[in-house]
Amino acid sequence: MRNIMTIIRKEIYRVVSDMRLVVMVFLLPGLSIFLMYTLMGNVMQDQVTAIQEHQIILYERNMPDSLKNQLIGLDLGDDRVLNIEIHEAKDADTVLADRVREGDIDLVLLFDENFEEAILHYQSMALPQLKVFYNYGRQQSNFSYNQVMSVVRAYEESVRISRLEDPEYYFVFHTAFAENTVDERQMAGQGLAMLMPMLIVIFLFAGAMSIGPDAIAGEKERNTFATLLITPTKRSEIALGKVISLSLLSLASAISAFIGIILSLPNLMMLENGAGELNIYRFSDYLSILFVLMATVLLIVGLISVISAYAKTIKEASMLIMPFYFITLIVGIVTSFGAEPNQAFLVHLIPIYGAVNLLSGIFVFDWSMLNLITVGVSSVIYTAVFVYVLNWMFNNEKIMFQK
Amino acid sequence: MNTLQVENIRKTFRLSKKQRKIEQTDLKKKVAVDDVSFTANPGEIFGLLGPNGAGKTTALRCIATLIKPDQGDVYVGDYSVLKESSEVRKNIAFLTNELKLEDHFTPNYLYRYFSRLHGVDETVIEERKERLFKRFGIDRFAEVKVADLSTGMKQKISLAISLVHDPNFIVFDEPTNGLDVLTAKTVTDYLVEMREQGKTVILSTHILSVVEKLCDRVGIIIDGKLKAYDTLENVKKQSSDGELETLFFDFVKESLGEDHA
Repeated sequence: MRNIMTIIRKEIYRVVSDMRLVVMVFLLPGLSIFLMYTLMGNVMQDQVTAIQEHQIILYERNMPDSLKNQLIGLDLGDDRVLNIEIHEAKDADTVLADRVREGDIDLVLLFDENFEEAILHYQSMALPQLKVFYNYGRQQSNFSYNQVMSVVRAYEESVRISRLEDPEYYFVFHTAFAENTVDERQMAGQGLAMLMPMLIVIFLFAGAMSIGPDAIAGEKERNTFATLLITPTKRSEIALGKVISLSLLSLASAISAFIGIILSLPNLMMLENGAGELNIYRFSDYLSILFVLMATVLLIVGLISVISAYAKTIKEASMLIMPFYFITLIVGIVTSFGAEPNQAFLVHLIPIYGAVNLLSGIFVFDWSMLNLITVGVSSVIYTAVFVYVLNWMFNNEKIMFQK
Repeated sequence: MNTLQVENIRKTFRLSKKQRKIEQTDLKKKVAVDDVSFTANPGEIFGLLGPNGAGKTTALRCIATLIKPDQGDVYVGDYSVLKESSEVRKNIAFLTNELKLEDHFTPNYLYRYFSRLHGVDETVIEERKERLFKRFGIDRFAEVKVADLSTGMKQKISLAISLVHDPNFIVFDEPTNGLDVLTAKTVTDYLVEMREQGKTVILSTHILSVVEKLCDRVGIIIDGKLKAYDTLENVKKQSSDGELETLFFDFVKESLGEDHA
């Protein structure tokens, strides 16, 4: 035990006493994620704001006054009024189409002459036509179309109702929604459940990948590992010391990334009160997340350590780890964007997948203690297997000394 | 009992395609050490003399438990390298160019780290460190990162660290290689000091003058085989002119002749 502690202390000191590694392992994950996501969020927010604040340029012909009046000064809620400029379309249709394509005009609505009269005398007159020009390849035009057409559809609906003997005939049935069927917390957690488990596992892996190969393959490459092997320290103690220290460092790296995500979340998800979103979780939820993180990091570090012990150089180790990183990436994406969290016991025995699945469950408050324990215990068992293999590898001169 | 006994050890390595090309051979295996036996006694320096690639380092690595002999055994005191490797490691110092120290750490840190791994008491660590660092002139560089030190200083630190547990058996593989005259003398002087303290010292080298100056008994290893093994005086007597150099080159010539036959 004393030797394990000595090795853990040395491995941690190796990282924390090297400013370059401190920045790379602890600071950079959180900072880069925070900056990246904040930037992404801001760009997205700016884009949305720019579209929402865009002044719609509408050209019309024979537009009913009632419709025109509805559009001007239309209340969009949140103290916003539809920003629209309405012009009379005098050009030929082909010219109008060109101008829409070029982006001069957002939307053109050409109503038939006597449009309202035809509506009024619908039984005797032919069906009038509304010709629409818009460019769905341009966001502003698309936005203008949606905003204006929602008013036009409302106008159409009101005409349809007025044609009925009794307006009530329009409705086929009433739909009533029962109250208290939605768990507000669960709803609020949906977004995080989609994003966080995948990011957490990816950052755990990335953290372990940034230090694992150097601590084992690097030491082999630099011939410093043999110096350790000629001490009376048991190989199993070396294996445990390496795995535990790397796990602690990777966990710290992942927590840095986690903090980065949380701080950038309000911007990323464009929430007015992003912190409120996270307030839905209790201390016990955070504790469960931390527990899953610890279990998963052990598993990932165990795997990376075995690969690093097998590799002759850091470069080879990084290359061999890559396929496992991609598998983790795919598992993360599939689980996060897949169906609801799987509650089956056996699922939680699958390395990585079980953890991502459980994390998704925790974020939407849909998980069980049994599954949490399953993930924890299975991860410890897998890690024990990795440590056993590592111990065997450290004892194998072909693996440790062959150049 | 502080005798180190090497008993009929044999070690073969599988040769990769690349290695076969370099060594210009079709053989898939190379016998690095072939049925080698010798004994090193307390209070003497045993020299293992041989040209590069003769199998000296492989034999010493077997003694230090880094690799296992395919056959035979080595007894370091009462402990077998095959069955009680951990006990062997507690009692042996092994110094070779292939064992490096991590560049990032200072001599102070590394000394304490390896002392703890050897289970040395904290008070003893400091007292012994002070003595060894002073003896090798490391004390002034104790807080300088290994990366920033000269090759000679690194070698002296490796030497001090190999001795953290004050072992009874000292196995040094070409300890003066690449060192300047002054540093080399510090190392050889210390070997003599350890002999005087009654330690069992094994020294491998390809430098004849080192053997003649330091060793009490000597083994000449060529192509993995021990060609001569006796006191320095008796080994010299096997030569036509009583010179170690003549005997050594005769063995090398003989080996080259065998290769070409």
